[in-house]
Amino acid sequence: MKTFLKWTAGIVLVLAVAGFLSFLYFIPPFLTAAPETFSGPMMTAPPGLSGIADPAERAIADRGRYIVMRNGCIGCHATNGSQGPDLTKYLAGGGLKFQTPKGTFVSRNLTPDNDTGLAKRTDDELKRVLRSGVFPDGHVVPYTVMPWADLSNWTEEDRHAVVVYLRHLPAVRHQIPDPDATPSITRPGAVEQAYGGKDYGVAPAVPVE
Amino acid sequence: MECHGTAGQGDGPAAHLLTPRPRDFTLGRYKIRSTETGSIPTDADLVRSVRKGLYGSAMPGWETLISDNDISDVVAFVKTLSPRFASETPKEIAAGPQPVSSPQSVRRGYGVYQTLQCGKCHGSDGRGTGATATTFEDDWRQPLRAADLTEPWTFHGGPGAQDLYMRFSGGMSGTPMPSFKDSASENAMWDLANYVVSLARKPLWRMNAREVADFYAREDAEARANPVKRGQYLVDTIGCALCHSPVDEHKRLIPGLKMAGGFRIHVEPFGDYPTGNLTSDKATGLGNWTDDEIKRVLTRGILKDGTRLLPYPMDWPSFSTLKADDLNAIVAYLRSLPPVSNKVPPPSRTFLPLFLWGKFKLLVLGSDPPMIFYPGNVGSAGAGRQPLEP
Repeated sequence: MKTFLKWTAGIVLVLAVAGFLSFLYFIPPFLTAAPETFSGPMMTAPPGLSGIADPAERAIADRGRYIVMRNGCIGCHATNGSQGPDLTKYLAGGGLKFQTPKGTFVSRNLTPDNDTGLAKRTDDELKRVLRSGVFPDGHVVPYTVMPWADLSNWTEEDRHAVVVYLRHLPAVRHQIPDPDATPSITRPGAVEQAYGGKDYGVAPAVPVE
Repeated sequence: MECHGTAGQGDGPAAHLLTPRPRDFTLGRYKIRSTETGSIPTDADLVRSVRKGLYGSAMPGWETLISDNDISDVVAFVKTLSPRFASETPKEIAAGPQPVSSPQSVRRGYGVYQTLQCGKCHGSDGRGTGATATTFEDDWRQPLRAADLTEPWTFHGGPGAQDLYMRFSGGMSGTPMPSFKDSASENAMWDLANYVVSLARKPLWRMNAREVADFYAREDAEARANPVKRGQYLVDTIGCALCHSPVDEHKRLIPGLKMAGGFRIHVEPFGDYPTGNLTSDKATGLGNWTDDEIKRVLTRGILKDGTRLLPYPMDWPSFSTLKADDLNAIVAYLRSLPPVSNKVPPPSRTFLPLFLWGKFKLLVLGSDPPMIFYPGNVGSAGAGRQPLEP
């Protein structure tokens, strides 16, 4: 009987360890899930434009939506929910934090929310960030954090279309904490998933260098 | 510093991504001047470029961001980078008063445009149509575009007739744009300036629905007609070169290896994912890939040999939203890249127990960073071991 208990306990233990290891192996399921698991939401998550009455504005915003999709803004400007990025809060930011020698940078809320988003930023201020990485207070974000060096190659028309689209996103109230007030990791080159779930389940979180 | 470099030589880490390239201050040669050919610019010229920025480039206007005193200090510093400012005095262009533009002047300007053969580079319509010269380099062998004369908001030195007059008279140093001071009279240059101002088209932000539809229809038609150019635009704006070009420990491009891959990205805990060689080299690049294989990796993250990529750092989930025409254009552009031989090893997975331990640390202890970047080229010996800072 004792031997039987011993064996049972042993088998249960082995099974538990094996189960835990395979859990570790398969989560997140990057290498086993179908590619559409990741690419599908990229197509459907960006909010549509049916609410825009003016047809000229709608056409421009539609082009902006395509540019925002193909450039993968959501890779950094997602908001983490309890199950990975919450794509219903499209571009509400906070998903990534970068620790650099020039300071800590957190992806901002790009929705037109009055207090926490871009509503109070002028078009010119937004275009300057997209063209030169320079914020209204004069600080410059490294192009390896926010890739403005690449975005500076946009035509002025395309940059305008992106801004028009951002103006028509559903406003999400999401305060991005002051990055320097949050604990940060010190290892060089380190990028931290910040603010919200630690679930890497579907996180296509893309720190650019 | 990121653009012009620590020593002002126009070789900052971001320089290779920018069109036009950032200025090399050490030579004292400037495009935007109110001075004669070969002369250094005036202080006022430099102050203006810093204050207003250079339209159509990544150079922002700083006037609302820093004080006039600071701008003067910046200009004084930039001048110390070239010995020319100590030994030479700027020779300003003596321009008479600006004549009022009139339909007659614009018509005469059209004649001047023909006489001076502006269309050779800028096209018969100012948009490059029928231009015989289409690719340009500046004196530093960096790529350059001829200005689209119908888009005054992209003129680096400003859109006014006065600005244009200065460009015609003084030329743009370091570029193929010459001075016309000796081949055209002052009046002819004013007429030409008025003509170029008259070429301006309506910008997108002032168009009505009908015009927007026409504009996009024309843009799409031009993209289909010239897929290589469209592909280059997409590749430049999406920023493929940011990862697919190996950099040194100062984050500067390793010469000759633009788009040739070999930048080592360690994705914790999965393993090393060195970036691929995107040039058309047959043995080590995309030369032997079929169009469908290139599109498959762009939209589904599957390499030629069937290896699956993670959904990051290669952002194929986002690229899967590219329209069919744009995918074709990217393929066409990548095929046009001159072959560079750089053999990059395939992704290597972390040894299984370490992989599990890495995941345990990441998911349970929550300590390790998901991605680390290394300088150097894994295609050759001597790749760095010390991580790059973001």
